[in-house]
Amino acid sequence: MTTFKDLKSQWEKQPEQNTPKDGPELIVQKMNILKRKQGIANFVLLTTVLVLIGFFFYIEAHNNATVTLALLLMISALLIRVIIEFFSIKKLKEIDITENSSVFSSNMISYYKKRIRTHYIVTPIIIILYCAGFIMLLPSFKDNLSSGFYIYIKSSAIVVLLLMVLFIRKQIKKELIILKGLSN
Amino acid sequence: MKSLDHQFKHLYEANYNKVLRLCLGYTSGDTMLSKDLTQEVFIKVWQNLESFRQESSISTWIYKIAVNTCLLELRKKKTIGISDHLNHLEQPLENTSANMDIKLKQLYSCIGCLKPENKSIILLELEGLPQKEIAEITGLSHEAIRVRIHRIKNELTKCVKNDNI
Repeated sequence: MTTFKDLKSQWEKQPEQNTPKDGPELIVQKMNILKRKQGIANFVLLTTVLVLIGFFFYIEAHNNATVTLALLLMISALLIRVIIEFFSIKKLKEIDITENSSVFSSNMISYYKKRIRTHYIVTPIIIILYCAGFIMLLPSFKDNLSSGFYIYIKSSAIVVLLLMVLFIRKQIKKELIILKGLSN
Repeated sequence: MKSLDHQFKHLYEANYNKVLRLCLGYTSGDTMLSKDLTQEVFIKVWQNLESFRQESSISTWIYKIAVNTCLLELRKKKTIGISDHLNHLEQPLENTSANMDIKLKQLYSCIGCLKPENKSIILLELEGLPQKEIAEITGLSHEAIRVRIHRIKNELTKCVKNDNI
């Protein structure tokens, strides 16, 4: 006849694991890796923005209204994305993990609900703005670049766009599953 | 900074096993995953240590972080299928961690069937925490905890008995 006391005694008899001697040092290392990872994504986006700005001056785009508008659209789309991610990470860090589990859970639910809203509303707008800017640039690319390079730019843009959409889709799916898990 | 490092090292050594055991309960005895979770818990302990306000005991504070981390991380890992973490329970005994006997595996498996909130409550009860402290960690009232513990104890005992048949 098993009673809860038996279960508790089984629990207490579990073999103790050795505490890793270098545990605290490994933790500091892992934190540095995490910080680096968070930085990489925004670094890539910011580099793209800088390349676009550099390109803007290189081709003296300020003399051409269409090219100026196109580049502004692309740069603003990327900047908006960076700013949203920056504030989202900040918000996530502000959620107090030392709160009791009921409060923590409801804070996480409201965080992920906001993230999903961003994904469904803001992200498509950003992608559309970026694509519109790119399409507006195409005639200028055609006039100023060799036909081979022009075809390369056009086809690589389609591949990049597809990869971007797939990546965002995967991210949305992942966050929806977390939200579902938290709401249960 | 030196004293904070020292305090962290002390907390790590004093609480590592308690946190690991709690994580094992959440992962149905998956040692590798539990060690990862335990490391995650202590990362958060380190990040928040300076803001610890001593409104509760340091061990209650660490348990709060452990419960929140385990629940959140396991929900995130559901994206690759929680069943992947439970597969080791199906393996023959010699393939699982050395001293885990069959009864403990049954207990893990039954805890794994509970709802996340109930899992937290019973794991803290098994760890021998007073009900008042469990209420503080989960954010439920003392009375609610008392009633729930009674119910979960019955549910768990019944589940282990059924597995024995």
